[in-house]
Amino acid sequence: MIMNLPTIYSITEDEIDLNDLLAKITLASTGAAAIFTGMVRGETSRGEAHETDYLEYEAYVPMADAKMKQVAEEIRTKWPVIEGIAIVQRVGKLYPKTPTVLIACTAAHRDTGVFEAARYGIDRLKEIVPIWKKEVSTNGEFWVEGEYFPKAGE
Amino acid sequence: MNHIKLLLFATLRERAGVKSMELDIPVDMTIHGLKDKLSSDFPTLKESMKSALITINREYAFDEAVVPANAEIGMFPPVSGG
Repeated sequence: MIMNLPTIYSITEDEIDLNDLLAKITLASTGAAAIFTGMVRGETSRGEAHETDYLEYEAYVPMADAKMKQVAEEIRTKWPVIEGIAIVQRVGKLYPKTPTVLIACTAAHRDTGVFEAARYGIDRLKEIVPIWKKEVSTNGEFWVEGEYFPKAGE
Repeated sequence: MNHIKLLLFATLRERAGVKSMELDIPVDMTIHGLKDKLSSDFPTLKESMKSALITINREYAFDEAVVPANAEIGMFPPVSGG
């Protein structure tokens, strides 16, 4: 069992560098990476159709760091075969087509649960990591609020 | 009295008009009591307080928890990162 598995988590105002992150979570034994990235959607058709000029993100940084670390630990508990994990949230004012978040998991092979692990990572980030976004458009601005209420111990 | 630091985020920060404040509260005050106090001291926060998530020293906390001395309390709406 390799003990020093790479785990990266960060809140940043800088552009998310996929190649750099991927290199950092790729081991000699890695053969697969599942990468999820979310970006600012300029035109929304699901639900109430609307356009977005930009999103403005803010975070409770020290707690967000700790909760991202917790998400990574949960991934490792559920999928012990995962090799590297990167969880990055970009904050500040972000415009359509810009990647805002990245979750990447690596493993030896693609049939190891690596897709599910990355999916779990983004779902969990949206539940417990203290980050918020304000949507700004020509119609005004409003804070997007989540729906999840964390339970004790989360 | 216990001295605490309160951090507000997103809608709560905007409605309060400040992002943090320092408060002295009774030693046995619970999160529930703190929410009541803030609702009455800052009427603009009253509505947000109903669905606010609360943290004590960066861990989620609930109404019955007693606020410890020198606590860092976070108050914010359900999160919306990603």
